[in-house]
Amino acid sequence: MSRAVVDINDLVIGYDTGTRQVRALDGVDLTVFADETLAIVGESGSGKTTLGMAAGRLLPPEAQVLGGRITVCGVEVTQADDPTLRQLRHDRLGFVFQNPTSALDPTMRISRQVALAMGGRPGSQAIAELLARAELSEPDRILHAFPHELSGGMAQRVVIAMAIARNPELLIADEPTASLDASIRARVMTTLGKLRAESAASLVILSHDLSLIARHADRVAVMYGGRIVELGPAAAVLDAPAHPYTRALLAAAAGNEEPGERLRPIPGTPPVLAGRAEACAFAPRCLFREARCEAERPEARAFAGRDVVCHRAEAVIASDAPPRQEVR
Amino acid sequence: MHDPVIALEDVRVTYRGGFLGGTGFDALRGVSLDVAAGETVGLVGESGSGKTTLARVCLGLLAPTAGQMRFAGQPFGKLRQRRGQLSVVLQHPEWALNPRLRCGRSVEEPLVLIGVPAAERRARVAAILDQVGLDPGFAARLPGQLSGGQRQRIAIARALITSPRFVVFDEAVSALDVSVQAQALNLIRDLQAEHGFGALFISHDLAATRYVSDRIAVMLEGQIVEEGPAARFYQTPEHPYTRALMAAV
Repeated sequence: MSRAVVDINDLVIGYDTGTRQVRALDGVDLTVFADETLAIVGESGSGKTTLGMAAGRLLPPEAQVLGGRITVCGVEVTQADDPTLRQLRHDRLGFVFQNPTSALDPTMRISRQVALAMGGRPGSQAIAELLARAELSEPDRILHAFPHELSGGMAQRVVIAMAIARNPELLIADEPTASLDASIRARVMTTLGKLRAESAASLVILSHDLSLIARHADRVAVMYGGRIVELGPAAAVLDAPAHPYTRALLAAAAGNEEPGERLRPIPGTPPVLAGRAEACAFAPRCLFREARCEAERPEARAFAGRDVVCHRAEAVIASDAPPRQEVR
Repeated sequence: MHDPVIALEDVRVTYRGGFLGGTGFDALRGVSLDVAAGETVGLVGESGSGKTTLARVCLGLLAPTAGQMRFAGQPFGKLRQRRGQLSVVLQHPEWALNPRLRCGRSVEEPLVLIGVPAAERRARVAAILDQVGLDPGFAARLPGQLSGGQRQRIAIARALITSPRFVVFDEAVSALDVSVQAQALNLIRDLQAEHGFGALFISHDLAATRYVSDRIAVMLEGQIVEEGPAARFYQTPEHPYTRALMAAV
């Protein structure tokens, strides 16, 4: 097995809202290996952004680490002092955020922002070369532009160029294409994948877009209720899901249906956890639940080439189609 | 054969720019499109292709520079005359709902504008909330107390309460999560079957558009480059640009 870049052990993170405590991560175990692309999928509130930001300790002040460890490139992030963290973020981590126009400083020319990310005093030649690596056409013109003069796709490529400027070991991309047009999403993802491969870095994509993941990730981690409920090779998880939530997500996504077929939304709403879940968090919405699911917290176990957190995984993978709702 | 609800004939829109309109930009370059009652026409294309300009023309918010727009077979006339006959659902329900108004009041407001008596208004609010799958108790809540999916249902209820003949959905499901998006798409289909409005569904997401639409028009640089039944977009479309969009599904 190749080297681990990120090692997360039983991580628990809560947000203090003033009146109550909301648990965002409820015991996450995850290892990211060198030179792989891992996608973390889940809906709003599943905890994927909290997990991604925790890797750089970029969480807001009201977030509290309540337990567990998170080691990134050999640094224990929850314990590290500020200089160590700053060096980790600057040299070994690269972040790509959802909205490129808010990730860039609107008052600074692109050349200066990119130079800051590169460190030292790079010449405009070096900056232009970096932008060209991110497949920006006319890098010389873009150097002198302000962020508002760029289209969304170009701005996101600039952000990607800044993220890879120091050849990081780990790239974290939070919904990198959500604010872009469908027609350029694929191209931006291809650029990101190409740059990752060139530097043999690890790429963690946080997304709710399943079709995007299918093409670009080696492994997929599905999050629900602050836990990773299914983790395995992308092909295995997406073609034959073993967790009922993964299966329900795939059935609800537009794009895989036959003409005239009806999409099947997941009934109910995601949970908001106040403390440790003592049962399966998905049980109230699950079509496969039995008495045990509402009484006993499922633990991760190896099954069918992946890790799954479900008492009923055997039944889920064996049923070839989800129970259909009536087609009108 | 009834007249289509919306009929566009060779519509051109030029945004004027520069001193004395020296340089113009053609946002729409000769677009012809019909939307029949009970039909959903999907409109896909990238940012800047003219989708939103076309929607504004259809809603009577923008007069075409050249060409013609007819509403139910007649010239559009003044917006005031069309009150309650057309409606729009936007991408972010936060933009459509006043955060300080109770949801019931927001839904009721369009009826006040067209002068429906109070007793009837209350009955219609209750009925439409039921149709969008919300408990009547939601009428007393503020938008901030609702989830994104619930807020979008309130926005849809507000758009449909006057039983409009034509509704524009401008990226109405793009900001929603996968499972909530499926609920919203099913809701739009069901409500249309019930109310029979004509709809223009604008999105850059071809997967969602082909699911909800009867016909799809693909826009590129101010022109419709391909138009056809939604079923075709499950197979191999003709225009290379459409095929590029399909690759992203």
